[in-house]
Amino acid sequence: MLTWPAAEKYLAFVRISLAHARRDRGELYGRAVFFTVILGVLSSLWRAAGESGLMAEAAPRTLLWYVAATEWILMSTPQLHLEIQETVRRGDVVYQLGRPISYVGAMFAEGVGMVAARAPVLGVVAFLCAFAYTGWIPPFRVLLLIAAFGLVATVLLTALDIVIGLTAFWLDDVAPVYWVWQKVLFVCGGLMMPIRLYPPVIQRFAAFTPFPSILAGPASFVLEGQAAAPGLLARDLAAWGVATAFVVGFLFRRASHALAVNGG
Amino acid sequence: MHPAPAVSLHRLSKSFAVRRPRASGLAARIKDFVAPQTRSVIAVDDLSFSIVPGERVAFIGPNGAGKSTTLKILAGILHPDRGEVRVLGMSPSRQRRSLAFRVGTVFGQRSQLWYQLPPRDTFELLRRVYEVDARTHRRRLQELVALFELSALLDTPVRQLSLGERMRCELAATLLHAPRLLFLDEPTIGLDVSAKTTIRGLLRAESEREGLTLLLTSHDTGDIERVCDRVIVIHRGRLLWDGDLSALRQRYLTTKRVTVWSDVERLALDLPGVRIVASVPFRTDVEVDVEITALGHVVDAVLRQGTLRDLVVEDAPLDVVIQTMCADAERRNHVDLASG
Repeated sequence: MLTWPAAEKYLAFVRISLAHARRDRGELYGRAVFFTVILGVLSSLWRAAGESGLMAEAAPRTLLWYVAATEWILMSTPQLHLEIQETVRRGDVVYQLGRPISYVGAMFAEGVGMVAARAPVLGVVAFLCAFAYTGWIPPFRVLLLIAAFGLVATVLLTALDIVIGLTAFWLDDVAPVYWVWQKVLFVCGGLMMPIRLYPPVIQRFAAFTPFPSILAGPASFVLEGQAAAPGLLARDLAAWGVATAFVVGFLFRRASHALAVNGG
Repeated sequence: MHPAPAVSLHRLSKSFAVRRPRASGLAARIKDFVAPQTRSVIAVDDLSFSIVPGERVAFIGPNGAGKSTTLKILAGILHPDRGEVRVLGMSPSRQRRSLAFRVGTVFGQRSQLWYQLPPRDTFELLRRVYEVDARTHRRRLQELVALFELSALLDTPVRQLSLGERMRCELAATLLHAPRLLFLDEPTIGLDVSAKTTIRGLLRAESEREGLTLLLTSHDTGDIERVCDRVIVIHRGRLLWDGDLSALRQRYLTTKRVTVWSDVERLALDLPGVRIVASVPFRTDVEVDVEITALGHVVDAVLRQGTLRDLVVEDAPLDVVIQTMCADAERRNHVDLASG
């Protein structure tokens, strides 16, 4: 049971991480510029695809807003796996374990703080770029749904990134795991286009992963007639959140045990 | 009545399973991946010592001696294979969380300060982490700011601070929750001479003021000599020495460095156990093995050749003492193995 003093510790981590990320402006601006370029390239791509009739099922303008939403979720997510890997490699993790706070809890809170710093800025960039490239703004309700579900999805993706980071306790380098993970996320999450445009076999496989709920789900609100049901999406995100918490807890217990018995 | 020890280790042992080097060839590699072969490496071997509250103890030894393993066991991060450990009356492996509230750690190569933010923000975070109420925190912070002269640094981003200033802030951050025991690992590494002196002085002052127990590991003998009163030396996980610094020197230091100034341009000191290491006109540096030739005989030899103008006798640096001890232990070990 999380008591108030314990909750305060994690909130303090959220606050300090948010303040730190805000001061680290170079990183944030870099992401914003990259985001603008990516959306510019995709805008040209979808326009060309639309004009050639390849994308009969979706209008280029909604597709660009869709991609702006999926990219916003992806780019707002901090890469905590790199930080965990470095902490494990340098041996710092054994010292962080000596604090009266859960290591993964603190790491997650730190991630949430980073999301809180990045998501609003990148959200504004996504909105402005999508509007500039399409000259269209989706209804306010749709934007609200994307923002709310997108934030939850980003937090879930942050927790999943911790899962990858925890593999550093057994692997020298988590990069191969991350690359595979990232590619599966891009395909099964429908990063570039809605999942229903993918071959049926990929759609069936994707249904067993959390990725459609994380990327395609919140972004689908912009697609006319293909939007996810908010209630179902909330249920899926909650279920995957619980599953992720169990996996993080399990992996961390195994890692701590291995560390206590055989050193770090 | 003796106070309850701050740290007590009784017959502590810890070994690790280390992977054997990979064999060459695909089949061997697959086999190695599926069923890796390991060997046991003893990191701490039947180690016992205790530290009373307020003591300042240097815990030293060469790399791989088992210092870090012992410290991690004391912090509750590693579980011992055998033996009993008590830290501030608690079992570290079973009460790690409770113990964390009463212990502080300073690692010279690792920072707990948030780089882009002023130290004050990290201090506030630590207040929450260690569950210190706001009023106690304010009072404690005021004390530490005055003692460590931090008022000008509190609101400056950490990235703009010098290494020495950062270290003072690190120390203050560690002491904010008023720990009773401080583990220090290379606390002055990378600092300039002046910053080192400041940090050593602060550590000693804080220990004397608060009765804080210090357990310090460092390769910088200056840290040990200026902060600690007692030295524990381990080698290959075993206790080599536990006692005060001067006794350690007396016991293991048979060589002294003697600098002689005389009116003789070139001294001739042909005595057993005496070696001239440097010679310039009217000044001679010699190393004297006092177990072979007493210092008095060296002085007599100088006086026979002319007038002695000045004389400086120095002990060898502590790291030489440690090296000598470890080499001695290795020799004994070889003899034991050969005879056993």
